[in-house]
Amino acid sequence: MRVVTIAIHTFKESVRQKVLYNLVAFALLLIGASILFGSISVGVEQIILITLGLTSISVFGLLIAIFIGIDLVSKEIERRTVYNILSKPVTRAEFVVGKYLGLLLTLLVNTAIMTLGFYATLYYQRGSLGRGDLVFLGAVYFILLQLAMVVGIALVFSCISTPVLSAVYTFCLFVIGNFSADLRALSQQTQSPLLATACGALYYALPNFADFNVISLVAHAQKLPGYLWLGNSLYALLYVTILLGLAIIIFEEREFR
Amino acid sequence: MTSLRGLFSQPRTRRRACWLLVLLCLLGLIPLQRSLDLRGGNEQALGEVLYLPSGRVLRQLSLGYEGLLADIYWTRVVQYFGGKRLAHSTDFKLLGPLLQITTDLDPHLIIAYRFGSIFLADKPPRGAGEPLQALVLLQRGIVANPEYWRFWEDLGFVYYWDLKDYAAAARAFQAGSERPGAMTWMRALAAKVAAQGGELATSKFLWSEIARQAGNEQIRKNAEDHLMAIQATEEIAKLNELVGLYHQRQGQPARSFQALVAAGYLRALPRDPSGRPYTLGADGKVKLNPRSSVDLSLLQ
Repeated sequence: MRVVTIAIHTFKESVRQKVLYNLVAFALLLIGASILFGSISVGVEQIILITLGLTSISVFGLLIAIFIGIDLVSKEIERRTVYNILSKPVTRAEFVVGKYLGLLLTLLVNTAIMTLGFYATLYYQRGSLGRGDLVFLGAVYFILLQLAMVVGIALVFSCISTPVLSAVYTFCLFVIGNFSADLRALSQQTQSPLLATACGALYYALPNFADFNVISLVAHAQKLPGYLWLGNSLYALLYVTILLGLAIIIFEEREFR
Repeated sequence: MTSLRGLFSQPRTRRRACWLLVLLCLLGLIPLQRSLDLRGGNEQALGEVLYLPSGRVLRQLSLGYEGLLADIYWTRVVQYFGGKRLAHSTDFKLLGPLLQITTDLDPHLIIAYRFGSIFLADKPPRGAGEPLQALVLLQRGIVANPEYWRFWEDLGFVYYWDLKDYAAAARAFQAGSERPGAMTWMRALAAKVAAQGGELATSKFLWSEIARQAGNEQIRKNAEDHLMAIQATEEIAKLNELVGLYHQRQGQPARSFQALVAAGYLRALPRDPSGRPYTLGADGKVKLNPRSSVDLSLLQ
């Protein structure tokens, strides 16, 4: 219950931030502009609309996750409001989980708004929407899973570093996570056992975002395989648990003076 | 329940529980990721796709870091090629475009032209089997690095080995020999190729020079493998002659090399360049030992 209260407060606090509205507005503008980009191309109008629309949801979701995620804990410490909260019967673990869930809710609402904008643009271009268009919700779901992991990473860094450095670290980890397949290839191809072990360990330890990138697939109206739904959901759940666990450990260890 | 809650109210217990949870989840991630990889989720995401197929666009986007980007792309070429070789795939469709991007980003990356042309020209499954693309790559290398005479050697080599165009190979070797700093043997090579074309002796000369001059272990090893294959081909031809001679003189075919040794045709049991004994097939033809590391298909 206390976790829910913190989550709701975090959500309310997040939606008060102007940067959030700017990002969502810009995302909606870009989704709408995809009609324009499509019209100056040949034969790929719809593909451009879908790829640009879903990419906007992903990129702006990522920006929101990073810019708001990095402030989650550090701002409370900076403003010294954390003393107020922790002096109440709230454990540090509840505080961290509540903060995480609050931002997740913010992202959920923002992604829902951007998805509505995406479908509205699609409807404007085609004049109708069919059952086949539901496949894009799959891509949105995978984007949300990705964002849930990114928020977790931002939260961990927010517990140990300054907001600026947290943003840089989170973004770097996001980029690395998209190249994880190269790490696996390197571990398989290198002749050095040490490098192979190191790359293999990193491949499993670092977040793997590559499996979540299905925008191109759905843009070509391909169905998302069942194992990807289950596997990615489970993967995100495990990884978020790891990140929350780490964030709680770090926050528990931290001394406030 | 109350005692459990009381237990978790202690920070130390909570921390330990968190560590345990993190560890368990990490252990759970490994089989899950393996299962996703096996089902091809990662391959699908990685795909045979070049998001930015133009090296010139990438150069603009690199904000002055095109050297670093070229190195990254070259690493990608090697990983792509190595991955395909490991998977015994014969489809190298991204190899040419990846090399083009790499050399667009850094036109002076000599290694990309030299290795790239080998990757492209070698016949499948050793390479992409695209000698014409290899020629284009090397010609671009020559334009960007006119002082580097070894591109002419590589060019002549692709003409000689992969296209069997001995006249063009001789012209390339000759042109290379006229570049400043070129080795004197380039001129001899040009003359030899022009005169003797596809003879094994010419190939032997060519590979010997490459092995001798190679500045890279992989190139040297490749040349040595070819030299071993040439030596084995020559030895097999000689041994077949001896087996035929034995048959002619003794009135019966040789069943083994021991018979040839006993009759004084050979001083000892013959061994191939990798040290494995040659075998005499039921058809009376000399063959490589199945465990021999000599690869005669290199000469095809």
